[in-house]
Amino acid sequence: MPPLTKKTGNNTYWRSANQLEDTPEFREWIEREFPEGASELSDPVSRRQFLTVMGASLALAGLTGCRRPVEKIVPFVKAPEEQVLGVPVYYASALPRGTGAIGVVIETNEGRPTKVEGNELHPYSLGGTDLQTQAEILNLYDPDRETLFTDGGALRSWDDFVAWWRRQSLSLSKSRGEGLAVLTGSFSSPTLARLKKTFAKTYPRARFINYDAVSDENRDAGIAAATGRPMQPVYALEKADIIVSLDMDFVQTEADAVLHARQFADGRRVMSPDDSMNRLYIIEGVHSTTGSIADHRLHIPTRRIGAFAAALALELEKHGLTIAGSDALAPYAVHDFNPKWLEAAAKDLVEHKGRSLVLAGRRQPAGVHALVYAINAALLNLAKTVSYRSYGDAARSYGAAVRWLADEMRAGKIKTLLMVGVNPVYDAPADARFAEALQKVENTVLMTMHTSETGTRSRWVLSQTHPFEQWGDVRAADGSVSVIQPTIEPLFKSKSDVELFGLLATGEDKRGYEWVRETWDAGLVHEEDAWRRVLHDGILAGSRSRTSAPPPNSRAISAELNNNPFPLDAPTLQNLELVFRESAKLFDGRYANNSWLMEVPDPVSKVAWENVALISSATAKALRVKQNEGLRIISGGVTLELPAVVVPGMVDNSIVLELGYGREGIGRIADGAGVNVYPMRTADFVIGATAVPTGTIHKVANTQDHNAMEGRPLIREATLETYRESPKFAQEMVHMPDLHSLWKDWTWSEGYQWGLVVDLNVCTGCNACVVACQSENNVPVVGQKQVRNGREMHWLRLDRYYVGDAEDARMVNQPVMCQQCEMAPCEQVCPVNATVHDSEGLNMMTYNRCIGTRYCSNNCPYKVRRFNFFNYTNEYPELLKLAQNPEVTIRSRGVMEKCSYCLQRINRAKFQAKTENRQVRDGELKTACQQACPAQAITFGNINDKNSAVSKLKANERNYGMLSELNTRPRTTYLAKLLNPNPELAEPTFDSEYVPREGGHGGSGSHEREHV
Amino acid sequence: MNRFLPAIAGVFIFGIAFIVFFFWYWGSPKFTDVGYRPVQPVKYSHRLHAGDLGMDCRYCHSQVEQSRHANIPPTQTCMNCHKQIGLDNPNLLPVRESWDTGKPIEWVRVDKLPDYVYFNHAAHLRAGVGCIECHGNVRQMDVVEQVKPLSMGWCLDCHRNPDTHLRPLSELTNMEWTPPPDHAEFVKRFKAERNINPPEDCSACHR
Repeated sequence: MPPLTKKTGNNTYWRSANQLEDTPEFREWIEREFPEGASELSDPVSRRQFLTVMGASLALAGLTGCRRPVEKIVPFVKAPEEQVLGVPVYYASALPRGTGAIGVVIETNEGRPTKVEGNELHPYSLGGTDLQTQAEILNLYDPDRETLFTDGGALRSWDDFVAWWRRQSLSLSKSRGEGLAVLTGSFSSPTLARLKKTFAKTYPRARFINYDAVSDENRDAGIAAATGRPMQPVYALEKADIIVSLDMDFVQTEADAVLHARQFADGRRVMSPDDSMNRLYIIEGVHSTTGSIADHRLHIPTRRIGAFAAALALELEKHGLTIAGSDALAPYAVHDFNPKWLEAAAKDLVEHKGRSLVLAGRRQPAGVHALVYAINAALLNLAKTVSYRSYGDAARSYGAAVRWLADEMRAGKIKTLLMVGVNPVYDAPADARFAEALQKVENTVLMTMHTSETGTRSRWVLSQTHPFEQWGDVRAADGSVSVIQPTIEPLFKSKSDVELFGLLATGEDKRGYEWVRETWDAGLVHEEDAWRRVLHDGILAGSRSRTSAPPPNSRAISAELNNNPFPLDAPTLQNLELVFRESAKLFDGRYANNSWLMEVPDPVSKVAWENVALISSATAKALRVKQNEGLRIISGGVTLELPAVVVPGMVDNSIVLELGYGREGIGRIADGAGVNVYPMRTADFVIGATAVPTGTIHKVANTQDHNAMEGRPLIREATLETYRESPKFAQEMVHMPDLHSLWKDWTWSEGYQWGLVVDLNVCTGCNACVVACQSENNVPVVGQKQVRNGREMHWLRLDRYYVGDAEDARMVNQPVMCQQCEMAPCEQVCPVNATVHDSEGLNMMTYNRCIGTRYCSNNCPYKVRRFNFFNYTNEYPELLKLAQNPEVTIRSRGVMEKCSYCLQRINRAKFQAKTENRQVRDGELKTACQQACPAQAITFGNINDKNSAVSKLKANERNYGMLSELNTRPRTTYLAKLLNPNPELAEPTFDSEYVPREGGHGGSGSHEREHV
Repeated sequence: MNRFLPAIAGVFIFGIAFIVFFFWYWGSPKFTDVGYRPVQPVKYSHRLHAGDLGMDCRYCHSQVEQSRHANIPPTQTCMNCHKQIGLDNPNLLPVRESWDTGKPIEWVRVDKLPDYVYFNHAAHLRAGVGCIECHGNVRQMDVVEQVKPLSMGWCLDCHRNPDTHLRPLSELTNMEWTPPPDHAEFVKRFKAERNINPPEDCSACHR
């Protein structure tokens, strides 16, 4: 039995602490693909009940086979023009995200949206999407959506609300809005801004407050300190050779992650040894996706990152730079941060003046952002890798404002409160005590897409439209403005935020289209054709704003640093730090009822369906808490209990808590999932917590140990230097025995031959592809219990490995889907020939022929075949059925399924090309995962075409097939990952080049097939 | 016991053979599906409209050359003529009701493939497969019935040997068309020009 941790080159790759310890229980778990007891019916059903059920179904089964079921065809009465059933129609639109936006193209089938893609024409997302955008379809078709208008629980209509509001506004206009407040999230939208202005004119004494639970407030305050006013940064990461991130998870959770992932990938992509690649340093107190792609990662407690920024600034000054505000940095001159690390990072930055970038994350206080501005200015990065855009009419979030509002509410000064698209009872700062304050307000109105904690305490609850069913507009972070256009009439009688704001501002009840059109006709477009073009493209061409980069104000920055000094204390075991982190999946909790997002394993902890307390292994040992054991955390008088999960590489004495869970009563997915940590959240990070183990081991659905590949070399990586010395390192890392085939080889020289390449160098591990695949292929959701049993259905999964030791590990990601092996082990063992190969290289899966022996999955070395153990699809609520892609079969119980290279897209493209008498063009056909990837890590195409992008990548020296030494001949191959460490820093988890295998290349035919 | 063993064995073997034959013969789509002629909500006669009046199939099934579905026409298509014609005909009552109330007519599907099969009408029409090949002579049907088994084996028979089933594009809806003497030559040219090669891989229909 080979060792479970495998050395590839000189690295040891492992998946979890369990694997490192290699206990006998773990071994047993690993060796069975489906854990012990998983196939047994473990629910308490008595034998008698079982026989009864079985007997009944047998009796019924006999009789139903006689009559053919009647299927109805129900056409329209009046068919809409230009809608051809079976041919999808695409609409360009945009989704608002805080004060930014993401451009999307929505595919609609049979008049309803079924899939979201990125809009390549949008300059600030460039066709990429993230996992939340991909999951928006489920938000639209959420069976637990708020569908009604109610007043105190009694059913009303929109017209009733309009009448009520008009009565209210009579008295409110007399008092000029005294006692009136509107609370909504941040936005950057010309129409909403216009309506807000009108509202302010109509009710000058009313308050309009914007608040996001997770916001960029600190950054705004920092930039305001540095330059005099808050501005929106516009980054150009692709131009930066050296990037230093201070707690900014810029490829996953921070604003505009989609664009930044793409920019970073563009700076990182390497095609030949002559290419250069950027270098990323990250300093963080959590373990993040960006941390996994960094070349150097320093973990220090979140609260000390400010002091680190100061130390970095002082270090830069040693190289002759003058950092604005550095006179306030004297308290931070003496520190205990790793001096070599600091020196190396500073030196690198200085050597790349104008081609570097320092970033700070949203958890860091304003002072850090101000200092970072000053650092970038001193490094001459302003106007090169970062510039700034005025916020214009964007409405930004203010935490202080919501606390003030709560105080006003408690004091009885607010008589009418309108909340639009927010949930302050759940996510307002804990010290605001919003729920209590809400009780004091006489008239409360909540417009919401979802039943929520705030809704149960509000008088009026209005059903809000989803962006896919409403008109609106939105500005991206660079100023580019798009129209949000609907793809379907509102599914319920909902109204949009635009329509509500219009009513509030003017008292007129107009359709959203009219409000938006008014805004646009007033100056953004001058003729109908221009409007149509915006609807078609999804963007108003040339609407990017000008940017500027004013010099930093040294005095203001010093003042900020002096008034709000950075903490100098470090957390200890009795004084733990708690870091409240926005969820990579649920963000601030708004997506809690989205089953796709719940089930996608968290990119770092690989936990699905709940949030956990992430701690380092040293802290776990010190607290004497075991993996998955409950941890009782006490902070600020609040006690919470969460399962503890050890994340190697986490900083000691710090517990990371994920926001967005523990939402009771809002929907079937969110109920019972995780623990609400907002009650403890008085700031983004706090100190002074204590934690004790509870002794209960929780059953955490953690996918990190599923489908372990038992010590085989899967991810191949090396440093850039190694690559330059030995470009073929990836292929030489593994000994290839003399490979013979038992069967006669097919000739793959005719027609289309499909292949796919994943560039591990640019893959960030964000999981957008996983959810995209789920959306496109109707992949079912199985629930927490089945995920624990290893039965998650994701056709595409991200395997996450740790490299190094338990104390300080680096994370690497690898997307794995069906490798479409030319010599597929699965095809060779199917007893009924349900899985065979087609002439274009695809491994086909014929669902109706499958009888469920699961031998194919048993034989698959990649473990990419997913089996429907239960009938996950027969109880879909009617609304959820609309989300399914009509081009893909819905699978029932008992059949195997797996990635099909988006066969439906292949066939559609082939037929389209055939009707036009041509071949499919390279790039015309994209698989769902390829299309979703913000970093463009996946390339798919025809390998028979020597000029196609995928052929060129397969010819690259870094190209390798996973487990190709097993002679599976996978059509899916990977480009080996490269690291670009600073030669002056001995990277502790990656310390030398690959070791060439004995026997060299190709091997002589004489020796036995070896175990590698 | 031993005396009866041959008899028991014989009955057993005969029993199994009969069961196999039973399902093979009476379980095949040729028996269970061919001849299926359900009652429709409207007494619509293809013999009258497509046969006697000579309407082209594609007047109503208008998207068949662009889409995978051969769409059933909306009530509006019927009303194109029947706003003026047949005002007293009681057979048209359900159609007028549908038009007036906005509730669609619920037709019963006749030629049906299982849900796990993907069939694309447009591809077949592009390849020169006439309507009659799969649907039979619908122009002669008062009530639509299924005349072909539509089983996978039956589909493959044509996919493996399409030549006799292809016709010029102008004759797709012509029920009377018979192949002329130079058909073989025509098919050869036709297939080359339009790049027709019916797939025999599972991925063509099973996705």
